[in-house]
Amino acid sequence: MWKRKRRTDEDFAEEISAHIALEAERLIEQGLPPEDALAAARRAFGSVTRTRERFYESRRAIWLHQFAQDLRYALRGLRHSRSFVASTVLTLAVGMSLVTVVFAILNAYVLRPFAVHDPYSLYSVAWRAQEAGGSTFRWKDYEQFLERHDLFDGVIAESVRRVSSTDRQLSIGFVSGNYFETLGARVVLGRSLTRADAPSPGGEPVALLSHQTWTRFFDADPTVLGRELEMNGTKMLVVGVMASEFVGLDDLPRDAWVPLTMAAVLGGGDLFGTKQPRSLRVTARLRHDVTPAQAQGSLNIEPFETKIVGQVDPVRATLTRHATPGRPSREGIAVLSPVIAAFVLVLIAACANASNVMLARANARHREIGVRLSIGASRGRIVRQLLTEGLLIAVLAALAGLAFAGLLLRLGMFLFVALLPPTIALRVRFVPLDFDYRVFAFACGVACVVTILFALLPALQATRLTLTDALRGQPSGGVRSSTLRNLLVTGQVTVSLVLLIVAATLVRNGTAIQATNLGLDTRDVVSVRQYRDDRALVERAHRELVSDPRIAQVVVTSRNPLFGEPPGFLLRGPSGPVRGTFSFVSPGYFSMLGIPLVHGRGFSEEEAGLESAITIVSASAASALWPGEDPIGKTVRLEIEPRGKRLAVAEVVHELRKLGDESRPAIVATVVGVAGNAINGFVYTGPDPAHFYLPTSASGSRADALLVRGRTVSTTAESMKSMLLRAHADPTTFDVMPLDEMVTLQMFPLRAASLVGTLLSVIALALSISGLYGVLTYTFGQRTQEIGIRMALGASAAAVRRLVFVHSLRLASGGTALGLVVGYGVMKLLSTVIRLENVSVIDPGAFVISLVMISGAVALASYGPARRAVRIDPSSMLRADA
Amino acid sequence: MSTRKHDNDPVALLQGTLDLLILRTLLFGPQHGQGIARSIEQQADDALLVDHGSLYPALQRLEARGWIEAEWGTSDNNRRARFYTLTKAGRKQLVAETRQWRRLSAAIGRILGPEEA
Repeated sequence: MWKRKRRTDEDFAEEISAHIALEAERLIEQGLPPEDALAAARRAFGSVTRTRERFYESRRAIWLHQFAQDLRYALRGLRHSRSFVASTVLTLAVGMSLVTVVFAILNAYVLRPFAVHDPYSLYSVAWRAQEAGGSTFRWKDYEQFLERHDLFDGVIAESVRRVSSTDRQLSIGFVSGNYFETLGARVVLGRSLTRADAPSPGGEPVALLSHQTWTRFFDADPTVLGRELEMNGTKMLVVGVMASEFVGLDDLPRDAWVPLTMAAVLGGGDLFGTKQPRSLRVTARLRHDVTPAQAQGSLNIEPFETKIVGQVDPVRATLTRHATPGRPSREGIAVLSPVIAAFVLVLIAACANASNVMLARANARHREIGVRLSIGASRGRIVRQLLTEGLLIAVLAALAGLAFAGLLLRLGMFLFVALLPPTIALRVRFVPLDFDYRVFAFACGVACVVTILFALLPALQATRLTLTDALRGQPSGGVRSSTLRNLLVTGQVTVSLVLLIVAATLVRNGTAIQATNLGLDTRDVVSVRQYRDDRALVERAHRELVSDPRIAQVVVTSRNPLFGEPPGFLLRGPSGPVRGTFSFVSPGYFSMLGIPLVHGRGFSEEEAGLESAITIVSASAASALWPGEDPIGKTVRLEIEPRGKRLAVAEVVHELRKLGDESRPAIVATVVGVAGNAINGFVYTGPDPAHFYLPTSASGSRADALLVRGRTVSTTAESMKSMLLRAHADPTTFDVMPLDEMVTLQMFPLRAASLVGTLLSVIALALSISGLYGVLTYTFGQRTQEIGIRMALGASAAAVRRLVFVHSLRLASGGTALGLVVGYGVMKLLSTVIRLENVSVIDPGAFVISLVMISGAVALASYGPARRAVRIDPSSMLRADA
Repeated sequence: MSTRKHDNDPVALLQGTLDLLILRTLLFGPQHGQGIARSIEQQADDALLVDHGSLYPALQRLEARGWIEAEWGTSDNNRRARFYTLTKAGRKQLVAETRQWRRLSAAIGRILGPEEA
């Protein structure tokens, strides 16, 4: 059976010669002279070559053989045109590296499952009540889940906290003893944590390091085992190092893991006592014979307070598959798809460029292709050969693209951290972004698609010719080919104009927002917030800071400005409802932040101590509620919940408040002053439409945060942190951050987007310049004779130059018009999604800038060809023609 | 090449019939390529013309399908030749194809009607 398949060409040839010999012998027997007999036998057989070819082609591996042939031929051909290969590979590699980066990030967050045993059976457990929902549980809830062997193969709990270790902050996973046993993640050094490490509360000061911590803080020291790592003043014994691929069960990598039983020792509170806090995230490994719905239905949770202190609500469990760090949500996809589209567009522009070069090359190879057609190659075979050439280039480009992508990713991470304010940057950890087989497979797929995109059209175009024309060296189908090239250039110009418009809009908005008047002076003001919901802490911190000689001023607030959206309510104004926001502040607030009191008076210390029912309104509130009137002395009903009734849990579901519901608790306050407008929430949304300041003091019921200004600039956030250690020994109790950094943080998304947008549009622009340049060079290369004649007939250099520029403008005009329309459409679409006061999505200035840049690009691209056209020597041209 | 056809000019084989004829010829025992061609022509009283060039690809095809087997051997006049033998599967195939051919030719015969002079 197998012997037959391996039959060689030689064997077959031998059989044929045997046949001819036999036939000749038969003819001799019939009486033909020997020499005639052989000839007759050959004649009877027909073409031996043809038969052998048919045998050859009947073999199964023929396509592979031909592919190898094509590949050899392509390699030989490409070796001779190094500059062509270099430019095409480079162009494509740039485009491919961009999409590879996007894919690598997507892969790391959404596609790649956790590096644990059977990640797809992991489900995160959450809870849902009538009006609230969340994903944290008490220890006793976890104990109950743990007993459900009928549903789960294992249940693990984790509580994530920051601790401070010498001078840095670490993100620590406090994990149940069965955590690593259940997950089955790999360690590179030592051992992972076990049940024996978490025997009882307070048990076993051991730590398992993440790979990043090991390399960054311990220089990948192989003798790290047995060394100690200090956490919040407690020495923890290092027992192991996790493999780099496991960083925790979400997208925020941990620096180390310690037993859950160490939580109280490290300042995490008592998890196991009578009043257990809800702080555990629970992940369960669902049994394979149980569906999530079944598990959800049969899990019972002891009711707890979900929203209001003292009111216990029934809750039910929900299970969500939790195999990858990120879950693609609909909103996420909506936000990301235009970004991804932009990256893909650049790749397409790069393909168009390469396609254009291929077209020119194919035209130059007309004669070669013609000869090959004439000696019997089929069109399909030549197309295949040209495609193989394209594939070879694409594969080279994919390899280069992968290398670029690695660099780009590293550069991106560096810039990401560099653009963030330092306090935040110290906390940034990335999930492992290394390239795995998925990224390689993606790159290969892209290479194939790219080949079709850039090599198929030129290949079809090149083989669409008649033999005679080709042999005469006449590019037939020339009209079609130039239309194709023009279309490609039009596409490129369109893409780059759209990207330019987006980038210009981003950059202009970025600078506009940078220049926004916040209405408050954030310089040298440091925000101090506490994480524990313990008012006594604020009072103690206030006392310590005020008594320190290095501190100039401390004010108390219910929340610090710029830290998220301020809480609010709806008010009835003369011209419709007004959204009001509020904050409680101590009297010094206005002077510290430089907010002018434009009318009336400030708060007195006595009023602050009593938390009197008086308010200072923002100028915008005054004009919205009492237009043309003096607001001083007016009373206003502010729907502010009495302090302490509502649970201070971030996960409480946002609830809509009805306007004018008199039964709601409220503070009826008298207006005593008007302050200048300021931005209390987000820079993008601009100043609050109506803000109300109410008085409080360090001992007041609303005191939750502090604003501090040092006596000199040298009193930094760091030195304040050490002062705060006197208020509480745990350095992670307070969040200390300069207000300026908060501004930077708020600007960050726009700055990052501007950067990415600029990068993409610059690449696209460069591609269109080179594309345009290529077409012009080619076109005027073909028109040398015509231009020579024009010059001989008296055309001036200026006229020739004009000829080139006009041609180039005409080429770009289609793309420009299309780009303007598409760009406007895109921005219009975005403007329905993005509704931010301070951001103008449809920005005429951005359109103008983009147009100017495109025109500049056109001029730049035509400069070289125009110069060359002017240099044409009419006399030699005419001679060459004759 | 003449374009006119005379009654005693050999007729080219119909597409697909060569396989059937090869199988049928091999029913009498192993034979080499030239022998097969010769035998077909003789049995048809030289009315059929076997294109030697297409004979070998056909043999190749039949061999690939496992209907015939081949082995190098020596011919009657002491020449090395490749001998083909019918396999069991080939026999079955021959029966099936013969039946099919009979039905086809009978049907065509009925449509064409009685032979005219």
